[in-house]
Amino acid sequence: MREAIEAVLGSTLEYAPSLVFTAVGAALCERSGVINLGLEGMMRAGAFAAAVVALATGSPFWGLAAGIGAGALLAWLHGWLCIRWRSDQVVVGIAINLVALAAVTVLVESMFGGNSTPSAHALPRIRIPGLAELPVLRALSGHPLTSYLALFVPVLAQLALGRTRWGLRIRAVGEQPGAVATLGLSVSRLRYQAVLLSGALSGLGGATLSLAVLDAFNDLMPYGQGFIALAAMIFGKWSPLGAAGAAAFFAFADALRIGTSTAGLHLPHGLMLALPYLLSLAMLAGFVGKAVAPAADGQPFDPEVR
Amino acid sequence: MPRSFRPGLAVAAVVLALVLSFGALALFGKDPLEAFAAMVRGGFGSASALGESLIKAALLTLTALAVALPFCTGLFNIGGQGQMLVGAIAAAFLGHALALPASLEIAACLSGAVLAGGAWGLLAGWLQTSRGVHEVISTILLNWVAMHLIENGLVVGPLAARSADANVSLPGTAVIREAANLPVLIAGTRLHLGVPIAFAVALALAWVVARTTWGFELRTVGASAEAARSAGIPVARRRLQAMWLGAGCAGLAGALLVLGTEGRYPPHISTPYGFDGIAVAFIGGSAPLGSAVAALFFGAIRAGGTRLQLLGIHRDFPELIQGLALLLVAGRAVLGFLFARLRRGRDVEASRA
Repeated sequence: MREAIEAVLGSTLEYAPSLVFTAVGAALCERSGVINLGLEGMMRAGAFAAAVVALATGSPFWGLAAGIGAGALLAWLHGWLCIRWRSDQVVVGIAINLVALAAVTVLVESMFGGNSTPSAHALPRIRIPGLAELPVLRALSGHPLTSYLALFVPVLAQLALGRTRWGLRIRAVGEQPGAVATLGLSVSRLRYQAVLLSGALSGLGGATLSLAVLDAFNDLMPYGQGFIALAAMIFGKWSPLGAAGAAAFFAFADALRIGTSTAGLHLPHGLMLALPYLLSLAMLAGFVGKAVAPAADGQPFDPEVR
Repeated sequence: MPRSFRPGLAVAAVVLALVLSFGALALFGKDPLEAFAAMVRGGFGSASALGESLIKAALLTLTALAVALPFCTGLFNIGGQGQMLVGAIAAAFLGHALALPASLEIAACLSGAVLAGGAWGLLAGWLQTSRGVHEVISTILLNWVAMHLIENGLVVGPLAARSADANVSLPGTAVIREAANLPVLIAGTRLHLGVPIAFAVALALAWVVARTTWGFELRTVGASAEAARSAGIPVARRRLQAMWLGAGCAGLAGALLVLGTEGRYPPHISTPYGFDGIAVAFIGGSAPLGSAVAALFFGAIRAGGTRLQLLGIHRDFPELIQGLALLLVAGRAVLGFLFARLRRGRDVEASRA
């Protein structure tokens, strides 16, 4: 039993971070009133850029930085088209996914002649002295940097959104952008900040896949995790901590599914895999609690129209 | 149709996407013109190539209709992929289980797929009209629900092909009956009956939307739900109908895939026709006819993409063109601004001369 708990705890810490980062970013973005459906594409760009730069420089940390940068770059495009030009946020997000999906597939083949990159240097695993000797808790030791970051980022985002002046403003542009503009603040700038943060976090999520979960990029990444992150954000009711909790729960459920099937116990896989989406749907429909999107979510802000 | 949409801009977006993506090939030391010629040959070069192009165009037309029809009423259906998979599994099940004469068998499989895909879409429509769940979110979530329940549930479980020999496991569902196969229309190609059916559906729906009272009501709901309601149009009902019909088209696409080319539900349907339909619909101005025209183009370059492999370019390259074109159409405000600026510049020069 103890081994089982350790295994599930350990693999949740391995597989949840990519989802956690992306879901927290999505929550920030939508709270500012911008829908980001391009999460999948941003994760993919991040995962690929991270692997390529880690290969080129020999340092996974430069790879991590490149992943964050690549995600932020796509997010800037999303922001520029949606905020500056008031384009349809849903369509732009889908377009970003399509472009990132195809462009990376084509790039991987042209650069490495296959459907994955060679092995890069994965992030080093951090052994926490003292913890490694304790029962159960030792599952918390020996993970890469990103696993520990994933414990702090949601808390940080929650505090920033809930307890700082900046957070109040971000929430305000998501609910009543007109009121924020009346105060003489720039709606665009605040939304850009949230969108860029979301892209950076998605890029970090992607980089986690190619530098921590695996030590290379493969063409299936990020395995639809951008959409699971979206579901997690909804299930977490648009709050960073809630989104992270939901992401961790989904990763935990998946670890349980894989764990039980290797143990010879067969849960219905299709149903288990569909669970995150079914739960989020039930939540949205008000069957389990009620999730409500920010009032101005998805609406471009036009200062001429009040 | 979105108010700011102009066909000229869509064409400009596609041309620009072609220039950008083939231009990018030069960076990798490939000859863009040679690649372009190969793609055109692959799409149009022979009867069988043309057949492949038309098959892909038919699928894209149907999945684009899945977006365009609900969009008439202001609903944004991102769920084409899931609805297509539901239609495909329904067709695969019926095509194996039924035992009817050929023409009846095909009709039954096709209508079964339309009903099943439509029902999956109706679920999202119902969540929107009665529980207030935004259809963008619900259809995205339902895509994944459908994918996992079908491909990790039904296809590996109750509907998995069973072979007499327990040691041989066949991936996917059982092969459909001979009578359920859509007949090939032109020898030497794979062009099957589903292709004319798809284009006939697009034409019929274009006519219905543009010329009937019902179609007018759909468009009124899309233009202003408030105005439609005060004119006595049942808004929720029209939305549900549009969603059902659109999703039914996606279901039909699934049937074409199974009955026309695959012959069963394969272990995994990897071609994202349902997602591509979103791009095709928007590039086609989210109207039925425009969608069919855009689908013809993207079907052809998609078929041509297989030829690019000989040049060492991934066959998904046309997907990049499609994505870029959608990005440019979505950001058409930028394009429009640039064009206006160019025109103004030219006028200034003309007035100076």
